Amino acid sequence: MVSSQKTGGFLAAPAVTYMVIFFVAPSLLLFSYSFWTASSFRIVPDFVLTNYLSSIQSLLFLKVTLNALLIGLVTATVSVLLSLPIAYYLTYVTRSKLIFYLILITWFSSYLVRIYAWRTLLGTNGLLNAALLQLGIISTPIEAFLFSPFAVGVTLVHIYLPFAVLMVISAMSEIKKELIEASRDLGTSPIGAFMRVVAPNAAQGLIGAFMLTFILAASDYVTPQMVGGSSGQTTGLLIADQFRKTGNWPLGAAQAFIMFALSILIYLIITALARASGLTRSRKSTTILTQDK
Amino acid sequence: MILRITVYLILAFLLIPLALIVLFSFNASPSFTFPITGYSMRWYAQIFSDPQLGSALWKSFWIATLTAIITFLLGAAASLAWLRLGRKGRTVLEILCITPIALPGLFLGVSLLVLASQVGVQLSMITIVLSHVVLALPMLMIAMRARLALFDPNLEEASRDLGASQVLTFRRVTLPLIAPTLISCAVLSFALSFDEFVVTAFVSGTETTLPMYIWSMMRRTVTPLINAISTLAMVFTIAIISIALAIAAMKRATNLSSRDVA
Repeated sequence: MVSSQKTGGFLAAPAVTYMVIFFVAPSLLLFSYSFWTASSFRIVPDFVLTNYLSSIQSLLFLKVTLNALLIGLVTATVSVLLSLPIAYYLTYVTRSKLIFYLILITWFSSYLVRIYAWRTLLGTNGLLNAALLQLGIISTPIEAFLFSPFAVGVTLVHIYLPFAVLMVISAMSEIKKELIEASRDLGTSPIGAFMRVVAPNAAQGLIGAFMLTFILAASDYVTPQMVGGSSGQTTGLLIADQFRKTGNWPLGAAQAFIMFALSILIYLIITALARASGLTRSRKSTTILTQDK
Repeated sequence: MILRITVYLILAFLLIPLALIVLFSFNASPSFTFPITGYSMRWYAQIFSDPQLGSALWKSFWIATLTAIITFLLGAAASLAWLRLGRKGRTVLEILCITPIALPGLFLGVSLLVLASQVGVQLSMITIVLSHVVLALPMLMIAMRARLALFDPNLEEASRDLGASQVLTFRRVTLPLIAPTLISCAVLSFALSFDEFVVTAFVSGTETTLPMYIWSMMRRTVTPLINAISTLAMVFTIAIISIALAIAAMKRATNLSSRDVA
């Protein structure tokens, strides 16, 4: 047993070393950067809170951060809601491999291509406007489709929905079909069965899916920039610009960690909300129910 | 019935924008409006005569290949380690190799940029590959963890008790159980790297990969050329995913054979 653990440690070493060098070390370095100062294109090791303080005192920073959080919350909510019927359908109604593969393919199909697709669809000369014009619903093209919060939301949902679906499927696949059938036999409606059986048991997985989608969407700086116009200013874009154009890396590092802290805060709030609403607590009672059987 | 209609509507939302890109890549005129008056391959002819694009494609191909190989080697060793480690060891492995999936690409991108600059390493194709592995390894480890949870450690022991050597046990018991998932994840790593944009944007320096090239085109103008490139990229991705799925489908066969061994 001991020798097997030794072999295990030996085999784990390459991956562990790799991630320590290329994941842990850079993260710690970025964290220490957030306390450094930048002066005339040079970065000086220091220990000041200026980067954090000046960020949270900046009206622009607060505005774009609020925007990023809203974008993340809306995208994650819509994505998880839309993945529920698909995941339910694929887990309990049919095990259609085709639908599953289509979702997998959309998830791996190019990120930039999907942004580009919505840009062309929603543009002034885009397909949506052309269709509405031809149908006579509008007389002049609507410019507001593109470069609006709506465009950002639609594109981000399109990008992250497949990911949410895959995660919700894995959360649901742990709930046995018999449980739902039993509840239906006892006279619960399909929606009732979903609310009383599926939701409580999958709650942890659903929160996970929501959070990962939220983190990806809230920090996505490319999509808002490409389809959001002036509404596409987000913290991610601000951070990215610090590391490219203006070049105040310590400030960018501090803003990245503020975003990181906010994500954790939102996770804590959502977990607390789920517990307060009884979603995660009633999970136990359903488990007991299954054990009694 | 309502459920099925909802599912198909959502699928339509996912697929129609992509289908339109493919359709318009064959449009003879550069406009994006219906009705399409004629079809042609002119945009495809144009992209194949673009030497910059060819070079970007070639670079992305090599970066993706190296990423897949490194991810496979690290992941294979880590998966074998997983089977042998106790709870503590597994937790360490999980924290290091799975948590990066919960971090946005922007965060990983800038921290790797900071590391490169601090160590004084020139940004190049090598830094791109090293960064892509950080993204691909967690994906592989998540799939492997789910796969290895089904693995009964008694199988290896039983095989040894029956007199099989360590090498034979590995070849006949362990390998068939983990190989399909490992290989299909390595293929997915290739797809992930081939399309990666956010992290690459920070660690690529002056190198232009395919997504970087598409990005520079997108920023300049909406040109029908992008439709053709996008269509090719999609066909390529579908091919890669199909290979990965075909390999993963081998699972069922290996499940049977492992039961025979047990």
